[in-house]
Amino acid sequence: MRLTLSVLLFALVFAAGRVPAGAQTSNATLNASINGLARLSLSSAALTFPDADPDTVPSIQATQGPITLSAKARTSPNGAVTLTVLASDQLRSGLNTIPASNITWVGGGAGFVNGTLSTTAAQVVAGWNGSGVRTGTQMFFFRNLWSYATGTYTLTMTYTLSAA
Amino acid sequence: MKKAVWSGAVAAAVLMLGSSTVFAQQTATASINVTANVNAKAKLTLGAAAINFADADPDVVPTFTSAAISVDVKSRTTAAGNVTLTVLASGDLTSGSNTIAISNLTWTTTGAGFQAGTNNKTTAQTLGSWTGSGNPSGTHTLAMPNSWAYNTGTYTVTLNYTLTAP
Repeated sequence: MRLTLSVLLFALVFAAGRVPAGAQTSNATLNASINGLARLSLSSAALTFPDADPDTVPSIQATQGPITLSAKARTSPNGAVTLTVLASDQLRSGLNTIPASNITWVGGGAGFVNGTLSTTAAQVVAGWNGSGVRTGTQMFFFRNLWSYATGTYTLTMTYTLSAA
Repeated sequence: MKKAVWSGAVAAAVLMLGSSTVFAQQTATASINVTANVNAKAKLTLGAAAINFADADPDVVPTFTSAAISVDVKSRTTAAGNVTLTVLASGDLTSGSNTIAISNLTWTTTGAGFQAGTNNKTTAQTLGSWTGSGNPSGTHTLAMPNSWAYNTGTYTVTLNYTLTAP
């Protein structure tokens, strides 16, 4: 009998040590949502071309100097990220106009390209692949001709950053 | 055991990010206002600063004639602005106390907007006129009768050209 009890007690202790009476597991699911995102910032909201003699300054540089553009984008791996610009209208001063195409730019920085402003088709300012933060510059020039009527001409350039 | 479970969950999350997340097209916009200032200007360039009529026999050369002098006009004005080029003589052709009336000195022209005329010492005479901005160019040839009546001498006059773009 004593032997039987001892064997039983050993068996219980052994069993308790190997197989817990109430074994539990717990699962935790981590969801991190990273969606597509695009953010664009420009160093200036205005661009001014001063008056100048067309013979001495045939191409007028913008007073502000190079505009710095910062493009932040989250997209799929190798997803296309494109920055474009479109003019709202021709340069206009009352009834007088100067073609927007007389404004050109020189791009600086990886992915940035040179271009000519257009009112009909958005022009590529820069292009990249994949997510990231990119910074570059645009130096604008205005073709200075004798044929322009006097006036203060304005237009608005709208930039669009697209992350596919 | 817990460590194994968490590792599995993180791995699953990474897999979700890498393979199953759908990226919709995202866009951001910004704008810049552009201003270009175009002010009034006028610039005149003549092809010669001096004109000389060499002496000649009036019977052989009844009229002194200069070479054609180029006239280059550049102006910026309003769309309907009147651009005018005038010439005013400083006086009559003068050699000491001798004179030849400036009205003897006439000109002909070539080029759109240019017109022939006669020099005057009191009223500026129109050499050319245009509307709006631009860069017209032409020529201007001076002429003067070679008369037996002139006293000998070296006669001079200054012709002042004025380009006006309002």
